[in-house]
Amino acid sequence: MKFKSKRPHYEYLRKKWIARHRVIQEKIWAKHAKHLALGSLGLLLLAAPHQPITPITTLAQSREDILKGFDQNVLLAEQLGQQVPKEVKPLELREESAILSLLSQNFGFKVRAEIDSIRLNRNYGLIGGEQHLYRYPGDNLYAHADSTVDWAMYGSAGIAPGLGAWGYFANSKQELSELIKLREKYYLAIQTFLVPGYAENVDKFRNFFKFRKMLVVNPKTGQAVVAVIGDAGPAQWTGKHLGGSPEVMDALGLGTGSRKGAVLYFFIDDPKDEVLLGPIKVRSQV
Amino acid sequence: MKQWYSHLVEIELIIIELDKMELSKEEKLHLAHLINSSLHHVVCDAVLSQLQDKDKALFIRHLHEDNHDKIWKFLNEKVDGIEAKIKRAADDLTDELKKDLKEAKKLR
Repeated sequence: MKFKSKRPHYEYLRKKWIARHRVIQEKIWAKHAKHLALGSLGLLLLAAPHQPITPITTLAQSREDILKGFDQNVLLAEQLGQQVPKEVKPLELREESAILSLLSQNFGFKVRAEIDSIRLNRNYGLIGGEQHLYRYPGDNLYAHADSTVDWAMYGSAGIAPGLGAWGYFANSKQELSELIKLREKYYLAIQTFLVPGYAENVDKFRNFFKFRKMLVVNPKTGQAVVAVIGDAGPAQWTGKHLGGSPEVMDALGLGTGSRKGAVLYFFIDDPKDEVLLGPIKVRSQV
Repeated sequence: MKQWYSHLVEIELIIIELDKMELSKEEKLHLAHLINSSLHHVVCDAVLSQLQDKDKALFIRHLHEDNHDKIWKFLNEKVDGIEAKIKRAADDLTDELKKDLKEAKKLR
């Protein structure tokens, strides 16, 4: 680590846990290396969630492997740069159509501005960071983390005091499935109340928007995430046009600093529920 | 990030204790990485110790693909009571981590 801390409790834990980590790694090498090719054990270490200490054996890679690792979302950013207006404003139909076609082509599923004659008030706007949401009665912030790294990355965003626009995501902890967990992890707050026709069709629109799958793209970087509408907001006076969960903001490259930035956001036409929630890469052309 | 064994590892109490400590974001992340990686290796060691030599490389290949269903199908076919064995190994480590946190609190 490059930084230095004067906190004795941190120093104590850091030294103790680095030493233990080393012992655990040495043990695994000593016990199993003789049964495995070095490459295999290297793969095991590569599969480790995070590798803060021990250098990993570099594996020989074919040219194909190298190309597979290439992040094509950067190329998407370049393509979007030619279509997205410089000013953050609602898209014109011509711009919208070009961008939709680009996104559908790049991600391999249908990206739409309108489904069942319903369209948002805009599809290009400023996203701001939201807090976590309570998923079931009795939920707490600590229970949201699947790992300590989740807590370190997203815990500081806190948890909103009120519920999302559709209440709890599940009726109880027992009902909390992987899908429900992912819905809260990758949720958006959308200004559904500004959608044309909302006031006249509240029930219909509320059902339509509940957990509606959306693609959100940072046009500057090409980073993209599939998320669901899990809340209504933000208020117009904030100057923001939508909100994203801590995980959404991180996936878009907007998780630090002001936690704000311009994004494109569209419906995903996914009647068979095949598109997975979470960060998404451009379909590989290799 | 969810790991294939996340449901067997109880980390909530560790997170609660870490959260009570005064730590910068970098410090939190560093400690979190150490816990995650240690857990991963302890779990992998517990599994590899139960597998026959010919199956070890296969397990590592599944691990690298990160297909959770495939990993569990493979392990359940190869080892009786593998979940309990993984849980025991992870619990042993988390108990040690809790003790360390208790000691660290005395230093504040």
